Amino acid sequence: MRRFWKWTLGIVALLLLAAFGVLSFMAGSPKDAYGMVRYALPHMHRGTLKVGDDAPDAHLVALDGLNRFHIRERTGGRPLVLVFGSFT
Amino acid sequence: MQLYSDYKDHADFLTVYVREAHPTDEWQMKSNVKDDVCYAQPKNLAGRVSIANDFIQRFHYPVPFGIDDMTNAANDAYSAWPERLYVIDERGHIAYRGGMGPFHYSPKELRAWLAARYGEVKHEEKQNQAPAKS
Repeated sequence: MRRFWKWTLGIVALLLLAAFGVLSFMAGSPKDAYGMVRYALPHMHRGTLKVGDDAPDAHLVALDGLNRFHIRERTGGRPLVLVFGSFT
Repeated sequence: MQLYSDYKDHADFLTVYVREAHPTDEWQMKSNVKDDVCYAQPKNLAGRVSIANDFIQRFHYPVPFGIDDMTNAANDAYSAWPERLYVIDERGHIAYRGGMGPFHYSPKELRAWLAARYGEVKHEEKQNQAPAKS
């Protein structure tokens, strides 16, 4: 029984190491792999929206930091292309 | 933002600034240091507004712009972070849903969608425009 757990733990450790190796390769370095796991993955969601769904609304702040508007205020006349992103 | 230049006569565009992807206090990328794009994750709306304005000024970014507030409501509704593209049609339905960035973020795919609807449009590229975002 003890031997079974030893092997199981060894295999799990190897798999984790391999996964971290793959992540490091994908991200560029072990530090980036850590960054990806710690800071990116918790915020990345595939989401459930599908083509044909009602577009959700949300209010946004204008560049002056004061005025607000709704995404849906910008829809209706023509298609609206939404480009989500940040500076970094 | 070549897509905007090419298709602004056919569709409206709105850029939505969401929480930073690679701030200095989280997962900073070497490329951000090289490009001098170094910001901590904003802790309040004023911080987001400030970075958004820096972005606009640096790239003379011409696309209409909105900022997701600290509730991250737009980000949550569209599963947008770190970057993503959508098209909402005239009836208020999702007409195009781009993949989750960065690996599946594809302005090329959006261009194909627009081209299928409005035909190929390609104006001459201008200098000093925003990078990759689309």
